[in-house]
Amino acid sequence: MVAMEKQIHTDVLVVGGGIAGIQSALDMADQGFKVIIVERQSSIGGQMIALSKVFPTLDCASCITTPKMSAAAHHPNIQLMVNTEVNQIETIGAGQQVTVTRKATYVDPEKCIGCRLCEYACEIEYPDPFELGLGAIRAIAIPFTNAIPQKAVLNPDYCTTCGLCARACPTDAIDYAQEPQTFTIHADTVIVASGFALNSLNVKPQYNAAQSKNVISPLTMERLLAPHAPYGRVLRPSDGKIPTSIAFVQCAGSRDETIGVPYCSRVCCMYAIKQAMLLSGALPMADITIYYMDIRAFGKGYEQFYQNAKAMGINFVRGKVARIESAPNDDMLLHVELTEEAVDPCRQQRHDLVVLAQGMLPQWNVSEHSSLQRESDGFVASPDVINPSATNLPGIFSAGTASGPKDIVDTITESGAAAMAARRYLHQQKGDKNPDLSTDKAAVHLVQRDAGEIRDGQTVQAGL
Amino acid sequence: MNTINNSQHDHQEPRIGVYICRCGGNISDVVDVERVAEVSRHIPGVVVAKVHTFCCSDPGQNTISQDIQAEKLDRVVVASCSPFLHELTFRGAVQRGGLNPYLYEHANIREQGSWAHKHDPAGATAKSIRMIAAAVGKLQYSTPLDQIRLPNHRKALVIGGGIAGMKVAADLAGRGIPVLLVESSGRLGGRLNQWNRVFPTDTPAGQLVTKLLAQLDANPLVEILLNCKVTAVTGFVGSFQVTIEGPLGPSGAMTTTQTTIGAIVMATGFKPYVPDDGEFLYKKDPGVVTMPEFIDLMRGQPTGTGELVYKGRTIRSVAFLHCVGSRQIDGVHTPRADGKINTYCSRVCCTTTLQQAIAAKERFPSLQVYDLHQDIRTYGRGHEDYYVRAGKAGVVFFRYHGDEIPRVTPADGKRPAEPSLHITFKDYLTWGEELTLDVDMLVLAVGLMAGDIPDLINMFKLPVGEDRFIQEIHPKLRPVEISVNGVLLAGTVQGPMNIEETLNAAGAAAVKASAMFLKDVVELNPYVAQVDTDLCQGSGACVTQCEYDGAIAMVETQVNGKTVRQAKVNPGLCVGCGACVAVCPTRAINLNGWRLDQYDAMVDGLTAEIPEVAAATS
Repeated sequence: MVAMEKQIHTDVLVVGGGIAGIQSALDMADQGFKVIIVERQSSIGGQMIALSKVFPTLDCASCITTPKMSAAAHHPNIQLMVNTEVNQIETIGAGQQVTVTRKATYVDPEKCIGCRLCEYACEIEYPDPFELGLGAIRAIAIPFTNAIPQKAVLNPDYCTTCGLCARACPTDAIDYAQEPQTFTIHADTVIVASGFALNSLNVKPQYNAAQSKNVISPLTMERLLAPHAPYGRVLRPSDGKIPTSIAFVQCAGSRDETIGVPYCSRVCCMYAIKQAMLLSGALPMADITIYYMDIRAFGKGYEQFYQNAKAMGINFVRGKVARIESAPNDDMLLHVELTEEAVDPCRQQRHDLVVLAQGMLPQWNVSEHSSLQRESDGFVASPDVINPSATNLPGIFSAGTASGPKDIVDTITESGAAAMAARRYLHQQKGDKNPDLSTDKAAVHLVQRDAGEIRDGQTVQAGL
Repeated sequence: MNTINNSQHDHQEPRIGVYICRCGGNISDVVDVERVAEVSRHIPGVVVAKVHTFCCSDPGQNTISQDIQAEKLDRVVVASCSPFLHELTFRGAVQRGGLNPYLYEHANIREQGSWAHKHDPAGATAKSIRMIAAAVGKLQYSTPLDQIRLPNHRKALVIGGGIAGMKVAADLAGRGIPVLLVESSGRLGGRLNQWNRVFPTDTPAGQLVTKLLAQLDANPLVEILLNCKVTAVTGFVGSFQVTIEGPLGPSGAMTTTQTTIGAIVMATGFKPYVPDDGEFLYKKDPGVVTMPEFIDLMRGQPTGTGELVYKGRTIRSVAFLHCVGSRQIDGVHTPRADGKINTYCSRVCCTTTLQQAIAAKERFPSLQVYDLHQDIRTYGRGHEDYYVRAGKAGVVFFRYHGDEIPRVTPADGKRPAEPSLHITFKDYLTWGEELTLDVDMLVLAVGLMAGDIPDLINMFKLPVGEDRFIQEIHPKLRPVEISVNGVLLAGTVQGPMNIEETLNAAGAAAVKASAMFLKDVVELNPYVAQVDTDLCQGSGACVTQCEYDGAIAMVETQVNGKTVRQAKVNPGLCVGCGACVAVCPTRAINLNGWRLDQYDAMVDGLTAEIPEVAAATS
């Protein structure tokens, strides 16, 4: 089947369906504009939906994220395009022409009712990406419990096309021959909320993360601590042992010119403190040590959160970890200079689980897909001092960690500001033709000019 | 006993669905949710009781909406977290299922169940069942309610003409909403007028003000009132009646203006911490200055002298002390007049200090510059560069512990050539060694404190946090909203922020205001008092008791041809507190959605003989 190019119009296109993209989309939709969220993953929710609890309120992350995800999914002005990558953003006249490709999921999302019968029938399992490999998922599955949309996705890397899922599916939604499809979306304005990635656990070879399964990413710790955790408790990866001495190595991928990340990643101090607090609840007997250079507890309520953690008995040790070596029983030996110790400051400390505070990098290189400029840190440039969410291109705005490391509180605020900036831009472009008070804005605002049909408030369907 | 009225489906008996949330494990790790569901099915009126891992997730909500159709439910209970988090979420799900959203009750079995009784699973389970029974009981008497719809005046009031207020005004006017910007001083720009350059771009602060001023000047929708204060406010979201006083006329005479406003943005900013007299020798030794004073001093230095001169003295060495008035520790620091200490981090002082240290070093290369900190918090984009640059410029860093406050003493010698100050502290970059620095000047990097706005706090009943800043509803769910409907927060009125964060907060406040003006009506929840005119004898007790001006009043009305005085509720102003209900001698007032018969039913539910509860508790 030849991929068909389809033309779509919208007021706002949001790149990325994480918390920033969702918040910007909601704020635009609440102002009466039609929004499409383009998300490369199979569900919106971004990195936040996989977190355990969030500082400084210790709300469970799902409790904050799911209602916003759900509000976006149910908003009459918002459409979700998941499994979809943005290829190119090009300014044409006053608007933006965005080409996107919907990846083949081998399931017709129009037909899939999310019943999971395919998942139950499938006999192939592989390491679950949502659980960062801590659990297994079937080769065809709903991505995770609270995914939105609840549509099965088939992973061709593991599928043997045995046909069990196709036979189990009550709606005949499985399509082994599905092809990627490309769309052209004409958007009056674009908000880039493409988020962050973490640099590699192995970025500092002296930490030997490749040699030990027990040197883990903070995101893995988030999964271990989540209320619906893969093991239901905190166990270390190598042997399933309950850890008794846990180390957090701060600035393991940031504030370090030797690895090209001289900047602060802004969230690591606070999530380490939070994880330490949650761990001390989950493992009351465990020793928990945070090795740090500076504790950057700067936000509202953060310093108090840090002081509470100290009062709970978490060890805060000032010192940069120089080297991590393997020790017997899958443990690790940390070589660290304890800068506050007068006697014999160079020590070797043994721990049985180590969390490396990896640095934040941009998830998406905007320069490869648009004329957007980046700063030397690789994140989207913000050239306007009085409009931080503006980019170098009129009509394109950035929100959240696309323009630098940020915590969730600051991301949500900035996403609102990005929506306001986009709103002003639309007002400038369209004058008084704003959607206010015309509650009955043409229902079929989103016109697909080619074959097929796109319905308001639903995931855009590309399968035929 | 009442029968159920106004049921949307045509059933004699109620058909209630009960949904019990595991909350991942937050609830189900303690509460036996399957058992709760089993018992709930036996509560009269309940036809469906289901357990879900996350009721708030899309599949969870869809289950509810679909069951309403499939099971012909006419009322719904969700037993989950606090209603504060998700009551609105589930009302939406119920509405999507085709029911009136107020035929819904929320049972909080997490905060009041699993979390409160972590170590008593059986008790938490039994309590959860009772709470559901109470919610089911209450629902039996629930009637469909409609949101109150009130006119929305398309005009915003922004209080405070600093950078936050200017940004909100520019944003709202820039999308077509008339804005009244009220500033108490004679000049827009606020604290920015005092600063030199703003980090991380080192843009002159005045440039930011000029740019925003140009936007405001160019927009005819912006009305700016300088030297004016908001002195009174009545009304409610959509129609606030605001009184503004100030010298408006050309003569400068005091004038009073009244105007009707749809939404209000508080952008009143912060004030810098002012040390007590003698704190670090402030006001006792002329060499001790605060950061704003130092910035002012730097601005006033004539160009090209090569020496920093202050009060006739040549300053050869200067120390910057971080965290003055921030990160204070109970038992170590002296409380302020209100008995509180500033436990919070002021967020901006570290980068400001480094920026000023670099500026001083670059301007006066022979100046010796020291920096005494606890942690260097250069967290923001481009901030870390200041730290690196300060080190390269020759700033010497020391690190002290928050509970070992550096001591500042006057130097013995009073000859002009000698340093005037000794700073003694333990330095933890040299393993806790006690050091004494002799310097000519000490700059106190003072923190941010909540602005002095007691009148506005009283007028608007603004919620004040433990840190004295105005408290948002929730930092992630509703970060710029407060418990007063229609009043939003922008910038440092809410807590310490730098310029960039202030601009973003202002944008976030503006977008919420912008969305409020999407419709020409505002919709409020219907939980307001209602007077039964058949029962009201006009005692007036309710009016005396009411704490909200104008929410309830006595009016003259005709009953059977006679003129009588009866109570009348203004639904825009009534907050649904119920104080009037309690004092009415004839029980003529009820709170919609929380009527007395509903309370009776809840008590019955809580105390009902449920054999399964007894079994669960035993």
